Amino acid sequence: MQQLVSVTLSALLAAGLYATMAYGLAVIYGVMRIINLAHAGFMMLGAYVTFTLFSRFSLDPFIGLVVVGPLFFFFGVVLYRAVGKSMARSGATPSIESLLLLFGVWLVLQNLAYVIWTGDTQSILTSYTMKSIEIFGVHVGVPSVFVFLASAASLIFLNVLLKRTYLGKAIRAVTQNRDAALLSGVDADRISATAFGLGTAFAGIAGGMLSTLMAFTPDFGRSFLLKAFCIIVLGGMESVTGVALGALVLAVLENVLGAYTPVPTSLQDAVSFALLFVALVAFPQGLPALFARFERKAIR
Amino acid sequence: MKAFKASLWAASAIFVLAAPRFLDRGTLNDLWNLAFAVILASAWNLLGGFAGQVSLGYSVFLGIGAYTTVLLSLRGVDPFLTLPLGAILAAAFSFVIGLPAFRLRGPYFTIATIGVAEAVRVCASSVSFTGGSSGLRMPAGSFDFNLNYFSMVVLAILVVALAAYIKRSAFGRALAAIKQDIDAAEALGVNSTRFKLAAHALSAAVVALAGSLYAINFQYIAPGSVFDFRLSLSIVLMPILGGVGTVIGPVLGAIIFSTLQIKLLSIPALRDSFLFIYGGLLILVMLYEPHGLVGVGRRLAALAASAFGTNRRIPDAG
Repeated sequence: MQQLVSVTLSALLAAGLYATMAYGLAVIYGVMRIINLAHAGFMMLGAYVTFTLFSRFSLDPFIGLVVVGPLFFFFGVVLYRAVGKSMARSGATPSIESLLLLFGVWLVLQNLAYVIWTGDTQSILTSYTMKSIEIFGVHVGVPSVFVFLASAASLIFLNVLLKRTYLGKAIRAVTQNRDAALLSGVDADRISATAFGLGTAFAGIAGGMLSTLMAFTPDFGRSFLLKAFCIIVLGGMESVTGVALGALVLAVLENVLGAYTPVPTSLQDAVSFALLFVALVAFPQGLPALFARFERKAIR
Repeated sequence: MKAFKASLWAASAIFVLAAPRFLDRGTLNDLWNLAFAVILASAWNLLGGFAGQVSLGYSVFLGIGAYTTVLLSLRGVDPFLTLPLGAILAAAFSFVIGLPAFRLRGPYFTIATIGVAEAVRVCASSVSFTGGSSGLRMPAGSFDFNLNYFSMVVLAILVVALAAYIKRSAFGRALAAIKQDIDAAEALGVNSTRFKLAAHALSAAVVALAGSLYAINFQYIAPGSVFDFRLSLSIVLMPILGGVGTVIGPVLGAIIFSTLQIKLLSIPALRDSFLFIYGGLLILVMLYEPHGLVGVGRRLAALAASAFGTNRRIPDAG
């Protein structure tokens, strides 16, 4: 029982972080139909900026996220204006050129981090890094609780933005049908820039949160990029609820496999990569579509 | 023009084959690296260039070749006898990846290959028979650099010749059709999955052969060296730089790439900036000339033709 509670709790905490991580990827994919390989670079950079804010200005990493978010939004918009303009397309499938272009951006960001922060492993040690609190009789690290709360806050912010504002409506419109949105007077190019900024901001925030949980190097981010891919594929590529669902599925699977099977922790990353592969091949439309199919069968 | 090109190819082939007679070991090492790069780039180009299926997971096949050679040599098999087995295993594994992954199109296929490559690397570092993350050493024994050099160079020449042959064959035209429009190709009766699987297996086998020779030359392998993501990256970068889908493009890309690598490693100030250069090159190529150097050459030729008012056909660099 104790173990069940502990597994559920850690899966839930991880799911929050995963959702934030994956959302940035999903919004850029939805609006621009590009697969942003530079996402890993943004996450890595987010971790380092949070680290610098903490070590130079002794800013608490979670307060630092408030700085990281807008900063990365701006960075994303500038980057879009510089190289992204040619990438947004109305076609159904993303182009391989944009994927490779953003791959190049990722490499440049990695090198930038090597130059600024060197290749040494860094970590953020706050007064509460090692502390834990008890929830339902299970000890949980304080940073992971904070990470969960910060993820929840940013996802609520996002949901309000998408559902209640004109900008959100426009983003959803371009996601659904770029050409139709253009015809009804939405400035799709500006929305793309905003979406790219938003995606970058979420990657930066996710990176900042990761930096409170683990040590990092400029190479950091690749396995999380693959996890984020896995989540958006599971979630059907573009819906917020889908992303949350995908994050939960991945987090539960990882934690259950870690707790109840002899799969060693060193292989835990391979779980998500394998799941990504299976998900891409078996249900490329994502879990929501899969459920819809089952429902239709059940009704019949 | 055609005869000139053929004789240029032949001259360079004779030069690299005869090189051990008059060049020192350092230069030969550079040439070995160049041949290795040419093999990887040309092999990747069979699937990524001719058929347009961009895979970021080719280090897997290199690793399979290298590990097969080292593991069997440790059990007393002659290293050179392990080469075909590594190639067969790599081709078999290419089916395991390809059968499900070729149902995916474009970038989705690319992401699936990143996933496979990472999963294989993680597994190779954590299971015991591969020596884990600390890697494996070849059994001590006589190592003949000249033999390895010849094998690598001959393989490189064969691969380039094979690419040139495939490009002109019905197989190559089917791959080109798949690249251009997979639905149209299917409608015309091209079994796209079969052709993609064949190209994948062929290139996987070639890369595994290069991996075996790599293991024999360096005598030591580890998941961090042969399954490295950076390796997969450079395999992709070379043909893109030179010009995907052409025969000469990957060779040009490999020449530039291996020269860059040698220069970068010898200049301390630049040693830490190779990602800047690779990333920057990738961005530049994608933004301005997706056909790479071959595309630049074609543009220059077209410019020259219009400047001199000649009506000569623009030489096709393939």
